[in-house]
Amino acid sequence: MADRACIEARGLTVQRGQHVLLDQVSLALSGSQVVALLGPNGAGKSTLLKSMAGLLPFSGELRLDGREASQLGRAERARLVAYVPQHSALDAALPVRDVVAHGRFAHRDVWGRPDRRDDSAIERAMELTDTRRLAERSFNRLSYGERRLVLLARALATEARVLLLDEPTAALDVTHALALLHLLRDLASRGALVLVALHQLNEAAQASDRALLLSGGRLVAAGPAAEVISAEPVRRVYGVEIVPAAHFGFRMPAGKGTAP
Amino acid sequence: MKIVLTYAVLLALLVGAVALALLVGHGSLADPTLRSTLLGLRATRVGAALLAGAALATGGAVVQGVFRDPLVSPSILGTTAGASLGGQLAMLALVAGSPLANLAVSAEMVLPLGCLLGAGLSLAIVLTFCRERTGTLTLILTGFILSSLFLALSSFITSLAQDSWDMSRAVVSFTLGGVGGVSTRQLFAALPLVGIGIVACWLWSDTLDLLLSGEDEASSLGVEVGRARRWAVTWVAVLAAAAIAVGGNVGFVGLIVPHTLRPLVGVRHRRLIPACALLGGAFLVACDVIARVFPSRSELPLGVITGIIGAPVFLILLARSQRGVSHG
Repeated sequence: MADRACIEARGLTVQRGQHVLLDQVSLALSGSQVVALLGPNGAGKSTLLKSMAGLLPFSGELRLDGREASQLGRAERARLVAYVPQHSALDAALPVRDVVAHGRFAHRDVWGRPDRRDDSAIERAMELTDTRRLAERSFNRLSYGERRLVLLARALATEARVLLLDEPTAALDVTHALALLHLLRDLASRGALVLVALHQLNEAAQASDRALLLSGGRLVAAGPAAEVISAEPVRRVYGVEIVPAAHFGFRMPAGKGTAP
Repeated sequence: MKIVLTYAVLLALLVGAVALALLVGHGSLADPTLRSTLLGLRATRVGAALLAGAALATGGAVVQGVFRDPLVSPSILGTTAGASLGGQLAMLALVAGSPLANLAVSAEMVLPLGCLLGAGLSLAIVLTFCRERTGTLTLILTGFILSSLFLALSSFITSLAQDSWDMSRAVVSFTLGGVGGVSTRQLFAALPLVGIGIVACWLWSDTLDLLLSGEDEASSLGVEVGRARRWAVTWVAVLAAAAIAVGGNVGFVGLIVPHTLRPLVGVRHRRLIPACALLGGAFLVACDVIARVFPSRSELPLGVITGIIGAPVFLILLARSQRGVSHG
């Protein structure tokens, strides 16, 4: 189980009209790692994540946890893959706990009754994301950073082995961004495959084991993060030079993993 | 505890409205010869208003969830106008001399069927034109245009029906909305539609809650979005059709009632839908009391009263939404 690829894609292609958004992407990713999905704006990062989450039609082959994705029903797929979009459309006055409970939808029986396993998954997801303190608050009254954590908790409540996150640190302050990356590492250490689209290369270098570099819809580099985020590929795709020693960086104080 | 209290208050309001509606009106209940007839007539009216109100309010809560827009309702989306047009066509089809009039079908059955087809067609048009990222304005405009089209066609039908005075009167009274001429057979034809419609919507509460996150997120969480939307729209059409069949064209109930209730019971459909059924019923029964006791030469149409109350409320909500007040 552990060595089987969580996600395996062959010749994954997404087209919108005549425009090719994703061009023949092939990859195989196993669990217990954070994989950074990199590339400039419009490179196809979100398209790749959405096609893996089953939200965009594609051609090519995609296997999730060894199973052909096109053969999976909606609920089955939701139990295997959780997706956190960059911008959530949710803006309702739902209590946070109910939002997190939505992650259990694919596990419910026909009558939709939650059971003990649902409750424990919800509690665990809220504990990992430090959102239990927000449980009774209305989702639409939370700050942007808090909303991102709640949406991550909703994804974790699915207990899916694959987590797809689209720019989770965008517009987060440094404290929340670091806490979130720390959490992603923690989830990977528990066996999850975390595929995360990131804009900040230094964040990716710090938080990921492997990296995929996209450019113009094509996968141009894949491998250990240190190799992909290195001078040559970065210059080729982004057209910038890497400055070896940053003047300063940030990290959480020792023993602290969550934002205040 | 708060939720139990809220339901208790809503139930009390409904009981109060029903009691008032039975006791108030032209004719005295003190007269023993008239008492049972008057009570029977009023009970039918009350039943019709209750069913129509419950159905429209529930339908409103559901379409607001499906379109993720608190400013839509069966009347705003043109569903009630569609149902009304369907009902009129059904009435016309039964008029003496038409080929259908010879069939052994009763008006009680044909009218709801016509309403159902009209409501279903109008919702299907809205769903086709207004996909996921359609803004409020497009939704409201689409509904407005559909309503205008259906109204124009209704006027056309009214003019066709003028050959028969009875028929034109029936068509006009149906268009304006009212529960005055409802028969018990009509009431019993609508009752299962409303009952099943409300229960069906309630059973889909969790799915409706997930749709508040939009198509992509709901889909990624395991919702078959296309099927859920079609299912919800089918039941809204059933509810609107049943409501229009017994209450005529009554607007705004589906807008005002869910809005009033969300701050009290929350946005979760499992709680919102039963509350809407209770308050929607109570509201329309109360409106019918006003229609009956308002001093005028003839009885005020029910749709006029809900329109007078509903339109300003809608404008206030629209103004608030422009200032960024979100769903719920």
